Amino acid sequence: MTWRWLAGLARKRPVRLLATAAGVAIAVSLLAALGGFVVGSEQTMTDRVAAGVAVDWQVAVAPRHDPAQVVDALRADPRTTAAVRVGFADAPGLHARSGGTVQDTGAARVLGLPPTYRATFPQAVRVLVGNTDGPVVAQQTAANLHVTPGDTITIRRAGRPPYQVRITGVVELPQADSLFQRIGAPPQSQPVAPPDNVVLLPTARFDAVYAGTPVSTQIHVARDHAALPHSPDAAFTEETGAANNLEVRTSGAAVVGNNLGAALDAAREDAGYARILFLFLAVPGAVLAAGLTGAVAQAGAERRRNEQALLRARGAAPGRLVRLALLEAGLVGLVGVLVGLAVAWVTGATPVLSWDVAAATVGVGVAALVVAAPAVRDVRALAADQAARSRSRSRPAWMRYGLDLLLIAAGLVIVRVSGQNKYTLVLAPEGVPTVSVSYWAFLGPTLAWAGAGLLCWRVADGILTRGRRLVTAAARPSLGALAPTGASMLRRRRRVIARSTVLLALAIAYACSTATFNSTYRQQAEVDAQLTNGADVTVTEPVGADVPPSYADRLGQVAGVRSVEPMLHRFAYVGNDLQDLYGIDPTGITRATHLQDSYFQQATATQALAGLQARPDGILVSAETVNDFQLSPGDLVRLRIQDARTHRYVTVPFHYVGIVNEFPTAPKDSFIVANADYVAARTHSDAVGTFLIDTGGRDITGVADRVSAVVGTDGSVGTLLQARGLVGSSLTSVDLSRLTRLELAFALLLAMAAGGLVLGLGLAERQRGIALITSLGASVRQTRRLAATEPVYVLVVGTVIGLAAGWALASLTVTVLTGVFDPPPTSLAVPWTYLAVVVVGAAASVLAGTVLVTRRARARARDLLRGT
Amino acid sequence: MTDLLVHCDHVGRTYGRGERAVVALHDVTCAVRATDRIALTGPSGSGKSTLLQLMAGLDRSTSGTVTWPTWDGSPFGHPERAGVVFQEASLIPSLSAAENAAFPLLVQGVAADEARERAGDALDLLGVGAVASHEPDELSGGQAQRVAIARALATRPALLLADEPTGKLDSATGAHVVDLLLHACAEVGAGLVVATHDHAVARRMDRTWAIHDGELVTP
Repeated sequence: MTWRWLAGLARKRPVRLLATAAGVAIAVSLLAALGGFVVGSEQTMTDRVAAGVAVDWQVAVAPRHDPAQVVDALRADPRTTAAVRVGFADAPGLHARSGGTVQDTGAARVLGLPPTYRATFPQAVRVLVGNTDGPVVAQQTAANLHVTPGDTITIRRAGRPPYQVRITGVVELPQADSLFQRIGAPPQSQPVAPPDNVVLLPTARFDAVYAGTPVSTQIHVARDHAALPHSPDAAFTEETGAANNLEVRTSGAAVVGNNLGAALDAAREDAGYARILFLFLAVPGAVLAAGLTGAVAQAGAERRRNEQALLRARGAAPGRLVRLALLEAGLVGLVGVLVGLAVAWVTGATPVLSWDVAAATVGVGVAALVVAAPAVRDVRALAADQAARSRSRSRPAWMRYGLDLLLIAAGLVIVRVSGQNKYTLVLAPEGVPTVSVSYWAFLGPTLAWAGAGLLCWRVADGILTRGRRLVTAAARPSLGALAPTGASMLRRRRRVIARSTVLLALAIAYACSTATFNSTYRQQAEVDAQLTNGADVTVTEPVGADVPPSYADRLGQVAGVRSVEPMLHRFAYVGNDLQDLYGIDPTGITRATHLQDSYFQQATATQALAGLQARPDGILVSAETVNDFQLSPGDLVRLRIQDARTHRYVTVPFHYVGIVNEFPTAPKDSFIVANADYVAARTHSDAVGTFLIDTGGRDITGVADRVSAVVGTDGSVGTLLQARGLVGSSLTSVDLSRLTRLELAFALLLAMAAGGLVLGLGLAERQRGIALITSLGASVRQTRRLAATEPVYVLVVGTVIGLAAGWALASLTVTVLTGVFDPPPTSLAVPWTYLAVVVVGAAASVLAGTVLVTRRARARARDLLRGT
Repeated sequence: MTDLLVHCDHVGRTYGRGERAVVALHDVTCAVRATDRIALTGPSGSGKSTLLQLMAGLDRSTSGTVTWPTWDGSPFGHPERAGVVFQEASLIPSLSAAENAAFPLLVQGVAADEARERAGDALDLLGVGAVASHEPDELSGGQAQRVAIARALATRPALLLADEPTGKLDSATGAHVVDLLLHACAEVGAGLVVATHDHAVARRMDRTWAIHDGELVTP
């Protein structure tokens, strides 16, 4: 009988079975796909972080210890792929004679590198001119000594005669900070900046020159990145453990400068945010999918009860009915899980066994909850007292006690209180293996989601209960004299209608909040990239260069350049605090870059620039500076800035006109923005620090290449695209676009399913009613319009409430996830096109479902009226 | 022939096609007049409901013709002069008893006030005026069937077609419903055809038509 029953279900109720399985599949695929996203993101983060590290470990060999012993210990670890010896020596100074001038520098660092070093650590040394076959100098050193390849420099030695080398190239050391770190010293004892003067010698030459002289030795190590765990957290723990293990095994002979571990340490916070994004964005969708599945199953509850009663009447024991219900749930769960996992894989999510198992478990759970549990409950009710089943007509308790409003209020209070405490969602203390995620932050949005769902129910129910005149008036243009009848139908079916409205509203709210959050996220990532690079293309002049603003005219002639704005860059003392000072033309800066209102405090961008324009000696300073020096608008501020003629710091008076939080190319901490003309006049130099170039967002790379050809080695050219890569090294640009596509597709699917499927199945239950209407003389048009009253109500009310709730929840999510944004958004970015697609999609599915069911009901009127 | 309400002339109705075709009615010729009280009897599946549906204009014959001479035809789906009472009470579940009774009138374009009044009269006539505001699931089986009859009568039909109106009622209630049907038809001057397999009901009618395997035996 069991198999016959299942076969009968598949034959007679295929739509309901498939719809229920589809709901389970959506929940499963959403969880599996987004779980895959988290793992994929973490893997990408780990890969990118690891790939960005030039030298994974710098192992300092303690004095009087044999470097070979340390190398052996390193090579004993299978995860070590290369270990090379690097010598470090100090030189009191460098000397060069070129072009009839003599140049001397201060202290220098001399390194001895093996010939294979560049091949082993390609990111550590970048050749700018010449080659690395012989001695080379760093770019800054070459500028200080005015030397080029082929020139000879003299390296001084303490207590020994100087020696000369002919340089074969000029190089850049992109990760000079870590290269010259003080290994084993705490962060506060690390050098403020890398040395200005650096000479790289081949090992043989280095050993010859410094034979018998105390030098320090490091072993530079490359690690096997492919063997790292996918999560930055786990990778950090493993790398830290391996470094500690080496130090223990070498009994103090080696101290590890763990560059790879430090980079992974920094990425752990982003991994925490990835997990949070998953919780914020995937869980509501999965819950919604479960709710949808429940609604689909519920739509057939009456029929199921009748079938159960019939089976009982024909002698089926309650146990058998329970087994049949469980079997149906199992079938639905199995199909849903298989389809869901297949969809997740098709979407390109990284298949992760643990996530897939978890998603499958949730799917089976949903099936059991929405299919088996109600059926089992009904079986018991049937056995106890069939007549006892009666519908409650009173308002639910939660509505009477205002639970919805309480939940929303509590959610808002929690978010507000949390925000006031300046809490951090994800905290990864440096060097500590554990990442702390503030799950408390989820409580506010969770309560708000639950409250919004119930409030939606209250509104949908309230309009039908108390707004009969309104509903009648709204229906009159379509139904005419039947409008009061239509309103009555809606009122009596308000429970079912409210449920459908809530589902549609929540689906649209989910789509709206997810899309709005994602758009805002993308907008801010773009703003961050703009902030980092300054403009589409920037030309940064080296320190000490004297390029006048008129050079902008030359850059302006490059094909593809729309406008160029020069920006001065100096350093100024505010009291004892050395800050970056940017000199701009307030009337022209926005021609080359975008300034957001959020960059400024207590003023819009336009107002802040107008303030500068109105006062030539005006300055914008950071809020911290205003606070430290208790400044009020118009206050005199004396800065000490280096005079270009005397190279001495002179006091220059300015007047405080506003607060600036962020500015293109400026650092995250305190800085100053002033009028370029005033700064140039008072420092006797109009040398430009950076040229901001606007390309209108088109052909940025091409324009940058052409600009590079013009600039040559006199400046470095950066692009917005490179900045995107930098700011997105963690979370921003890696996988979010894929996550976004995934979420938006699911949100659209949920909205359409909520709209069409639930209503369609609800209408299927009403087929007999529609057939009755037909048989009582209603025309095709009257029947269709009466049948459409309910879907149209659900669509209109659900869409309006859903969009409103979605916007509110997006605001809440953005508020809670402020830590993800840098800088925080001025306003939400609303993806109107996508929302229009969602609403149109939901409307189309609702109307399609209505038309299909109505047509079927009319065609089968005769059978339906006979109860067959 | 002026009181002829419906005339079936060699009517046949076949469902499905080819090998799966099922002949529900075959070559049925019959007529109903305003004073007729006809019991249509026969076993389940004999074609009683099909014949009633054709007479009501709810279905189309596949052969022969159905005509309604006393009124201006009956377009399919618009049995404006034929009231139908179904096998089950068949009330629209989301409307009250009064709204159910008024529904066919509103569909016909009768003004709301008049529809309400006529529906109230019909409910009173059937003795269920007291439950006018009740919803279908608040009514007993007998009450629901009486509301369904009231709904059919509210349009003041010339012909009332009842398909097993007492099929799901106990015998006492069933007898009472038949009383009400006869009384109501007399009140509004409607012809009555009742499909039934209950001989007690059939005996209350003036004439009995038997139908077997789609063929009308005793017209």
